[in-house]
Parts: sequence; C-alpha cells; structure tokens
Amino acid sequence: MNVLPNEEELMVKNAAREFLEAECPPSLARAIEQDERGYSVELWEKMASLGWFGISLPESHGGGGLPVTYLGLILEECGRAIAPVPFHSTATAALAVSRHGSAEQQQSILPRAARGDLIMTWAVQEQDPRLRADAIQCRAEVDGDSLVISGIKHFVDNFSAAELMVTAVRTAAPSDDNAGITLVIVPTNSAGITETRLTTLAKDSQSKLTMDGVRVPLSNVIGEVNQGWPATSDMLDIGTALLCAQITGAARKDAEMAIDYAKNRVAFGRPIAGFQSIQHLCADMIVWTDGAQLLTYEALWKLDSGLPFGVEVSQAKAFTNDKCQATVRSSQQIHGGIGFMMEFDLHLWYRRVTAWTMRLGTSFEHRARVARALLDQPGEVRLGMNLQPVG
Amino acid sequence: MEFAFTPEQEALRSEVRQFIAENVTPEIVAELEDTGIRRRGPKTREMYKGIAERGWIGISWPKEYGGQAGSRIDQYIVEEEFARVGITVGGAGSGAPAILAAGTEEQKQEFLPGIIRGEISFALGFTEPQAGADLAGLQCRAVRDGDEYVINGQKMYTTAAHYATHIYLMARTDPDAPRHRGISIFLIPMDTPGITVRPLWTIQNNPPAPLGTTYGDARTNETFFENVRVPASCMLGEENQGWYVGAMGLNLDRVGASRYLISIQRDEDIVNWVKDNEIEGVAMREDPTMRDRLADMWIEGQVCRLMTLRSMSIVENDGVFTYEGSAEKVFAPEHGVRTTETIAQMLGPYGQLLNGSEDAVEDGVFAHNLMGAFQSGINHGSVQVMRDQVARRGLGMPRV
Repeated sequence: MNVLPNEEELMVKNAAREFLEAECPPSLARAIEQDERGYSVELWEKMASLGWFGISLPESHGGGGLPVTYLGLILEECGRAIAPVPFHSTATAALAVSRHGSAEQQQSILPRAARGDLIMTWAVQEQDPRLRADAIQCRAEVDGDSLVISGIKHFVDNFSAAELMVTAVRTAAPSDDNAGITLVIVPTNSAGITETRLTTLAKDSQSKLTMDGVRVPLSNVIGEVNQGWPATSDMLDIGTALLCAQITGAARKDAEMAIDYAKNRVAFGRPIAGFQSIQHLCADMIVWTDGAQLLTYEALWKLDSGLPFGVEVSQAKAFTNDKCQATVRSSQQIHGGIGFMMEFDLHLWYRRVTAWTMRLGTSFEHRARVARALLDQPGEVRLGMNLQPVG
Repeated sequence: MEFAFTPEQEALRSEVRQFIAENVTPEIVAELEDTGIRRRGPKTREMYKGIAERGWIGISWPKEYGGQAGSRIDQYIVEEEFARVGITVGGAGSGAPAILAAGTEEQKQEFLPGIIRGEISFALGFTEPQAGADLAGLQCRAVRDGDEYVINGQKMYTTAAHYATHIYLMARTDPDAPRHRGISIFLIPMDTPGITVRPLWTIQNNPPAPLGTTYGDARTNETFFENVRVPASCMLGEENQGWYVGAMGLNLDRVGASRYLISIQRDEDIVNWVKDNEIEGVAMREDPTMRDRLADMWIEGQVCRLMTLRSMSIVENDGVFTYEGSAEKVFAPEHGVRTTETIAQMLGPYGQLLNGSEDAVEDGVFAHNLMGAFQSGINHGSVQVMRDQVARRGLGMPRV
C-alpha cells in the first residue's frame, strides 16, 4: 500500500512537466484558440518524438507497454500546461482499439498512434448526452459487408484534426441487457458526414456530426455487431479517468497561480496572502484538488490491476467536477478584477477546467452510478471495498 | 502507486475481524458504553490482554520495548478493525510516538512495554482555560528545585484523567523565553500528591453515547496541580524543547485509523441502513435526491480514506509531512459533520431520537453523532488552525 507515485512514475511525470514548461507556454494555448486546425502541430510532433502517445500501448505494436497510470500522469501534466494537442481523444480511442480491437485493427492503428502519425477521437454522445446505452439513437444497418450509419453524434472532440473516430451506433432496439450497440471505427473523411463546429467555453475543438448513409466496412467493427456496449462503456470509463487526470492537473496549476498572486498582491498594507480569509481559501483549494487527484489515481490503479474500476471512475469524476470547479472559481476570486481580463492568462485555465467538468458525465450522472453500485445490489458495503458497477 | 494491501496484511485483517467476532461480547460492549468504567471494566481488561498477547499493540515499535518491529500499515489495519467496533488500540493519543522519538532509554523501558500490556495509559495535559487553539500561551508552571520540579497550574479537557495512570503534561519552564521556547513536557503519575481531577460532563453525558459514536465521551475533566513535586527524570526530551516534542506527538495523533474512522463510520452506517430499512413502507434507497446525497457522502468518505492512506504512505516511506496531516484533519472532520447533518435531514423526526427512546434509529447513534461529529473539528487542533497550517507550511503563505 502506497498511494503516492513511485520513483519511476514520478520520473515520467516530472519529465513531462519539464518538457511542457519549456515547450508549451500559455501563449500557445491562447494562439491555438484562434487557429482553424485546433491544435499545435509543432507541439504534437515534439511530443510524438518523446514516445508519449504510445506509452501505454502494447510493446508489440510499438508502444511503451506501461500501465495506463503513466499515461494518466502525463495527461495530468498536459492539463497543467493546458497543452493544445488532441492527446486525450487519441489516447482514449487508441486504448479502445488496444483493449477490444481485432488483431488486424490493432496492427493497422496502434503503431501509427504510438508514433503520433495518427490522430483519433471517439464519438458516443448524442443530443441526449447521457452516458448510457439507451441514449444512443444513431442508427446503423448491416448491408452486405458494410455498416451504413445515419444519425447524429454530438460533442466530438478534435473531429477536424482526427483521421479516425471510434463510434458507438445502434444496430438493434434498446434492451435491458444493453445489447444493440455496435462500436465501429469510422474514417472522419467518409462520405455522408457533415460537421458543425461548436463554440465551447474552452474555445477548443468540438463538433456536432450529422451522418447520412455513412458506409464503413464491417471489418471496422470492434468486437461483434450488437455487442459493443461493454467496450463502449470501458472506453468511456478510461476516457473519463484520463480526463479527471487532465482536470486535476489544470486545477492545481490554477490554484498555484492564485497562491503566487496572493503572495505578491499588496492590499491594506500587506500581501493578501497574509490574510486568513485568503489562506483558508487556498488551503481548501489544495485539499480539494488533492482529493480529486487521489480518487483519480485509485481509479487508474484499479484499471491497471484488472479490477472493476467503473465506480472509482465515477467517484473521481463527480468529485473532480465539483471540487476543481470550486478551485478555479476560488482562484478567480483571489485574483479579483485582473483575473477576468482577456490579457491575463488565468482565464485560459478557468475556461478549460469549467468546460471539461461538463464533459464525459456530470456530477449527477456519476453519483447516480455510485448510488446504483451501493444501493441496488445486495450485501453490506464498506469504504475501500471492490464494488461492481451496476449499469 | 499501489492501492492494495498485501495478502499477508489481508490475512492479518481477517484474523483481527475473527478475534473481534469471538471476543467483543455484549458484556464488553456494555462495559465500554458505561460512563463510569469506560475502558476499565474487568472483561474489557481481559480482552485487551488478549489483544496484547497477539502482538497487536505497538506493532511498529522496536522489539526491545515490547513491539514487533513491524510495519505501520499492519498497525493501521489492526487499529482500523478495532475502531470500527468502537475500541481504541495502539498508538493514537497514547503519548507513545513522542516517547519513542524523544524519550530516554529509561523512559522507553518504563513506559512502552506497560502501554502495550495495557497497564499504563496517559491523559493529555495540553489545553488550559486560557490556552486552547493558541496552545503556546499555556501558563501551567514547572519550577526547578534541586532534582525536582514543582508544578502549579490547571489543565482542561484532560479526558482520560480519571482512569489514566499518567498524564502527559505540557508546562512552562522558562517564562522569560519566547513562548514556544519555554515549554517542557513531563510524564507524571496521576497519583502524585497535589493532583486533583474534577469532572466536566459533556453534552453526550445522558444518555451515554452508543459505542462507535463520533467522540461520545460523556466525561472529560479539569485537572489541578498544586505544588506537585516530580523528579527531573519525568521530563520528556530537553528542557524548553517541549513545544517541538509535543507538536510531533500531536501530528502523529492527527493521522491514523481512528481519526479516519470517526469521520466516516456514519457513511457506511447510513448506506447499510437504507439498504435494509424503510420508514412505513417508504424506501429512501429509491428516492433520487437521497441517492445523490448518499453517493456524494460516500465519495467524500473515500477521499477521507485516501488522505489517511496518503499520510500512512508518507510515514511508511520515512517521508516528512508538510501539510498532508493537517489537510486530512480539515477534510475528514468537516465531512463527518456534513454526513451527520445530511442523515438528520434524511431521517427527519426519527433522527433526533436518542438511545433508549422508542423508535430510535440504530440505537440513537445518528442522533448522538449530532452532538459528537462537530467535536472532531475542534479537538486536537481546530479545522481553522489546520487550515492555517496547510497555508503556511504547505503553501508558504506568511504568518498573519
């Protein structure tokens, strides 16, 4: 039992921090907000050369073969640096292929993803954005050796940068056992996809897609037709855990900026860091982000240990949503007026953390899932036990 | 990172649980709940002997003082299992961590094996009427006189003073030094002439709290020292270094299983209660609002658990706390209060019924907890003082 990162984990995390401090100034995130491509090609290529994109992909496909925890630690640092690269969406989709894809799919996708030659994303949510099988209405039908998809996918990250997207579609009517979902790899340049760019609080890249008769080969299906929900759910859980890492990294940096600011900002004849009202708020901010980080680490550790980890992911996301939001809002409070001036950098973090808390499941959704695990199956519960997710 | 315990540690946990199932009888529970003889009843003493014989007290202490030279995680596991049934074993509040760190060889031999055997216990003599959160303002005086010190003063909230064998006393030995540098610690037998103990009854006095209530002490004390003469060998650590010795002991007192357990037991209790119970056919487990709140509390409880494990991880890796112990002592007590008050609003009028009352829920533990949970944010360093420490030690913010 040791809930702190070990030496190897710290080495990777610190190396990522050093690299990003040198290569990813806030001005880069600011510039990319105005950039049509939606990401920094230069930063992406530098990161690729460090081998980060494959760190948790299998060695047999050119990856580093390390536990997903390492990827989480790097994404935490990317969150800290608000690095404008499509890393999270690529990693989430690549891990879905790595964990559930066929040998052919893995062979064609993973080595490229590991090298950074392939940008990917995932597309599950729709107009009803809840993360549940019966919210998936986008239809697909088998036609010979093709799957033909028609419907809407919403809140898709980095669509225009991505070459492939891992998409969940409905191939049969909703049922109690969540059958009828098919997970499929769709090239983003397929005929029949219309993209509408969304304007997000984070000023990052999200799109709404209308698919009209989009045809992909059946060999692109991950697993079996109609049996794709477990893999979809697994992909969402991993994406959520990684997003939590990204949010906690960003929120901690944001808190540190407020602490530094308070030490230097003089009011009423002293640095405001000398006022207890400010000190206690800062203490809370650190306690909150610590809590979010610990929950996230436990979720990642359970994933790597082959234990059920869905409940831990939901715990982490619900807490991260509420407490990291509170952290960045408090940081704005400490900064006062300058904090919401466009020329000052703080809002770059505030707007991202805030937007990210609303993605991949709200606090209410995730707490509902925790409640199902606690209340809807028999047996006495105890903190720290392994709990099976229910639904 | 490694969030699991080892198979050996899990086996130890099972062994402790089995011991508890076999030995913590209703008679012992009755003794433990009895205000007059708390922790001192004959059957309880017998049980403690059994715990000591299994080597479960002072597991991490060196063998020459009766310990097992084992891991603190093992000790944590034992403490956690006993704390879940309302029984305190091991390090917290015993004075032992400070004796191990600062005591002379004679003191270690004198006290540690006796603590393990349950023959020696300490009341904590820190707080005074005018020195609570601002402990460094304490005035109790110890004046050197040859080979002795003469002590005069008053201590407050000396909770165990009516049954402890010794008191762990902080007194001022140099009134002219800066306040933190004129304090020393003494380990004094309670039967030394000149010590008087007077009860202070807490709001949890009548009816006495069911076992496992957060805090739940019916009685604490004020202790008076009138020309109390003790040999100079009673001093723990160097003269005038007592603040630093004491701070170390307090820091260790803020972490560990019992601190964690008193803040989260109601989370487990209410979820398990809601699973099995309804009020006149109305099942709270089906109410979406209550489900959301239960999950919210549960998640916070997990954070309390993880912060405790973080503190344990730091100690086990021979690291040094900067703010982590204080952070834990901000989050957990306030969480305990949030849970307790949420449960009150779930149970409505049933939530106010104390043990002994008709229709009391779970023997009144939730109602009693409304008098106990908030104490956790006050005792052993208030959450406000803890926030000061997080800000100053952890974040490098200046003293006001």
